Amino acid sequence: MHHPSLVASLAAATLLVPITAPAASDADIAELKTMLRSMKTDYEQRIRELERRLARAERTAAATAAATAPAHAHSEPMSAPSVTPPSPAASAPPRHASFAALTSGTAFNPQIAVILDGNYYHDGRDGDGAALVGQALQPSGGHAHDHDHTDDAAAGHTHSHGSADNGFNFREAELTFSATVDPYFDAAAYLAVTDAGDVHLEEAWLQTRNLPAGLRVKAGKFFSDFGYVNKQHPHQWEFVDQNLPYLNLLGDHGLQDKGIQITWLPTLPVYTLLGVELLQGNQEVFGATLDAAEQAELHLDDTQDGPRLWTVFAKVAPELGTQHALQFGVSYAHTDQHQEVHAHTHAGEDVVHENALAGDADLWGLDAVYKYDGTGAGGQGDVKVQAEYLRSIKDLSIASSPHPDVVGSARQFTTDGFYAQAVYGFAPNWTAGLRYDVLGPTNEVSGGTTDDFGASDRWTVNVTWKLSEFSQLRAQYAYNDILVADDERERFDAVYLQFVMSMGSHGAHAF
Amino acid sequence: MLKKISVLLISLGALLGGTAGAAPLNIVATSPSMAALVRTVAGERAALTVLAAPNQDLHQLQVKPSMIRALRSADLVVAIGAELEVGWLPPASASAANPAILPGRVGYFEAAAQVELLDSGGAADRALGDVHPVGNPHVDLDPVRMATIAHALAARLAQLDPSAAAQYRRAADDFAAAVAQRVTTWRSQLAAAPGVVLYHRDAIYLLERFGVPLLGTIEAIPGVPPSAGHLRELVTQLRGHSGGVVIYAPYQAPQAPTKLAQDVGWRVACLPLEPPQDADGAGYLAHLERWVAAIAGQP
Repeated sequence: MHHPSLVASLAAATLLVPITAPAASDADIAELKTMLRSMKTDYEQRIRELERRLARAERTAAATAAATAPAHAHSEPMSAPSVTPPSPAASAPPRHASFAALTSGTAFNPQIAVILDGNYYHDGRDGDGAALVGQALQPSGGHAHDHDHTDDAAAGHTHSHGSADNGFNFREAELTFSATVDPYFDAAAYLAVTDAGDVHLEEAWLQTRNLPAGLRVKAGKFFSDFGYVNKQHPHQWEFVDQNLPYLNLLGDHGLQDKGIQITWLPTLPVYTLLGVELLQGNQEVFGATLDAAEQAELHLDDTQDGPRLWTVFAKVAPELGTQHALQFGVSYAHTDQHQEVHAHTHAGEDVVHENALAGDADLWGLDAVYKYDGTGAGGQGDVKVQAEYLRSIKDLSIASSPHPDVVGSARQFTTDGFYAQAVYGFAPNWTAGLRYDVLGPTNEVSGGTTDDFGASDRWTVNVTWKLSEFSQLRAQYAYNDILVADDERERFDAVYLQFVMSMGSHGAHAF
Repeated sequence: MLKKISVLLISLGALLGGTAGAAPLNIVATSPSMAALVRTVAGERAALTVLAAPNQDLHQLQVKPSMIRALRSADLVVAIGAELEVGWLPPASASAANPAILPGRVGYFEAAAQVELLDSGGAADRALGDVHPVGNPHVDLDPVRMATIAHALAARLAQLDPSAAAQYRRAADDFAAAVAQRVTTWRSQLAAAPGVVLYHRDAIYLLERFGVPLLGTIEAIPGVPPSAGHLRELVTQLRGHSGGVVIYAPYQAPQAPTKLAQDVGWRVACLPLEPPQDADGAGYLAHLERWVAAIAGQP
């Protein structure tokens, strides 16, 4: 700012010259003009030099300020400075007017995190075990149609949170992007990249941030808020693999669908969240439909227009003081359309008979979660207990069969399951977990035929070492007792050694 | 009979309405220090909920449904900020479906945004631990900064509740005066303090304010437990310094601080960063008094 004022005074001086020296000759004037010009350039040079020195000094001061804190500054690699909001200089007035949260800043980029999830797996069944635990016998079940599985494998549909081979596996690299879009919406996208390079869109949704009366609306593709563990991504699970009821009644990905969710948080004395979801119904297990060719072949209806699936849920959490947290939830899901195929053979015949069944299905869920904050170093003394009960009821009727007499008759399939697990911080940064999960305490079909199958269950223990907030190593052992056919069981051990690495922005410590 | 029913209905209404009816402002403080500030500045005009207890690590806390419930009805949330509560406050606020308290709104107050920060501008490199280039967030242990924050809070409360603006300003002035008075005493008490080793750089604002040298930290890098090698190094470094004190928080492992203090012949103290849950301005100053006494080494 000194620069223009100096030029101005020089100009003023130039103007004054003819008045103070009226008798000067033209030559003198020319000489004076040259002198003034040279003075002007001279000053301009000096000012530029001063500006350069000032800038240098400011840079040094900033660098010193940055280096004052860490004593090990010299050992830090030079790195491009992260984009930080202007840190208040010593002279800057306190920003009373600022309503913003101070953050390390992302300069309008979404918050990005990449989570790597890999493991070493071994079971006593040459690696079949990891898939088998998701195919425990139900009278109605996930294996809707054998053709499907062959087709899926041929189509290279390899992304599965449940699958593992004996040896090294890379489950997924999960890329998450989240940001506040504008004053009206938050949005997030979660992409899972498998070791084969397939990209699976886990979630991509928008959520309102500005609705009144405790309302929020979420839309896009998302994990349903049904139950408790359903909305968790695999790297957030307390165990390497999903529990038996979710795995068998909802499939690898749980209730994950396109649709819309509305939640309401009324101002009741205790935390109460009520929600409803309307979902397309493209499900792997609960609400599965066959493809068009099979539907034609088996005299089944076409897949109905969506949305075909809806859920309601309520969660209640009493206030128990700062160190305790307890939440109960009840959830219900209904699908308007469910189709499956049951294959059977008759003694002495080679022909496989296929009955096609169609109808609707209900799923009930109860969940309870308790957390205790032990306030010890690195989570020592923390306890987390969670338990859920799921019950699936499918009301189907036989749409086509090689036996015409059964066509049109009704069948009700009921399968339930529960898991209970506890995790305890036994030392700083170390936790131990124990889980019991069971599918099919009730595992029956009623209607034209009535039959009751047995249950599959599993005991799992693990130890997790959280080296820091961003990395963890886990060892897990499970003893499985899986019903694979009527009166046929597979009992086997399974071991996982898992790593989970979180790169990028600080994760949320969600409930 | 009708009277009984109406009494019942009224009490039910009061129950459902919670405490909102009693005080004009419903305030949620993330920590006891922020709660102390709210109590001292807003007094009876605030119905206050504190989300964390002094024995909890504010950086490691997890979201609880009861936090979400408290934030749902809040007119103002008072946080320490600068990413200290980053793991739980943003998800809890988002779940609370209360637009009034989201960052950028008048209902969001962040103490760290009101003062200058130390340790800012470092490299955003996780090899250096759980670093936060925006700056060290633990501003609440510096009484002078807290006085500045109290004035900023009074200004914010005045925006939300203009009728009591003068009351808020006076209360902040009184708090600042009490701080100024104590600071003079504490300055002389701490003038000769030989130095402190902290577990984590969480009390640097207090040390910097009174010119007490920080001679080392138990953890070599933030958020990562110390190695034996680092502790041996510390022992070597501290030889020749006598009479200092090793200070750690209740949620930090006591073994390393105790051992270090033994090895170098220092005192060791376990002090919470936060004042008691129900502290007000005076309680906050009494809490700092404990820190000053521990650092000065006077009984």
